[in-house]
Amino acid sequence: MDKKSSDREEGLGKELEGLLAAVPPPKAPAWFAAKTMARLRTERAEERRIGWFWLPQWKWLAAGLGVTLLIFGVMRWDRSAMNISDAEVYAALNALVQEDEESRWWAGL
Amino acid sequence: MGTGQEETRDEDLMAQIATGDEEAFRQLIERHQDRVYGTVAKMLGGAGPDVEELAQEIFLRVWRAAPKYEVKAKFTTWLMTITRNLVFNFFESKEYKRKGLNEMSEDPGGIEERAGFSGRTAADDLAGKELAEAVERACAELPKTQRMVVHLRQYEGMEFGEIAKVMGMSLTGVKALMHRARENLRDKLSGYLGASNS
Repeated sequence: MDKKSSDREEGLGKELEGLLAAVPPPKAPAWFAAKTMARLRTERAEERRIGWFWLPQWKWLAAGLGVTLLIFGVMRWDRSAMNISDAEVYAALNALVQEDEESRWWAGL
Repeated sequence: MGTGQEETRDEDLMAQIATGDEEAFRQLIERHQDRVYGTVAKMLGGAGPDVEELAQEIFLRVWRAAPKYEVKAKFTTWLMTITRNLVFNFFESKEYKRKGLNEMSEDPGGIEERAGFSGRTAADDLAGKELAEAVERACAELPKTQRMVVHLRQYEGMEFGEIAKVMGMSLTGVKALMHRARENLRDKLSGYLGASNS
């Protein structure tokens, strides 16, 4: 009781309290809870959508990296298969020279 | 105001909300929406879209904080602390500063509606409206900390100890704020105080 009366003395006082009581705070509109719930659901859906989007994105990144490595490997393998030995080059050049000589002979040059 | 039983129920609801229970969250909103909405409206100087959005944000903060919620004080004290933080942050926001301090309180029709004067005589309406406007204006002109302390004490019926927790201040500090608020309000409403005495 003493504490309460002491609180009253340290409060606004009866007169001011009476005046302020004439202007109570407004109540929340009837739709407030429903709108808040809707906003919560929207936010949660957005969070889930972002979560769903991120996972496949990482998967796509992993798949892209895999394909890049595959192409790189094939190119490396292909390049080694395309190596031509010196003997093959000389043989081809010899064949060209021989063909050229035969053509000249037939032409009577 | 909250009884011991209600606090237990609030805490139980918070435990359910922490597991993602939307129905428990709805119950919590319905239980405390007038308290939160009314506090925000009083602090911002009247009802409006900003008040609704800010009050919703407060409840969404409660949802997000639920997994980490620990019972250290009354639930309403914790809720009002979140409310105070967000309202004060809003005052610091560019949006609020852009709109101007008093724009939201320029709502005479709203004051009449909030004061609940419908159904009275024209003379009563006029006197009531004038008084309501004067009280609203006097409260709106208080510094935000004084306004918050007055609201928590006057409309939420909180003890000074609880108010000190909400405000993050010492008990002496809160009582000093209340003293200054009383002086300011007495000064601004002196005409009406004299009238009520006679």
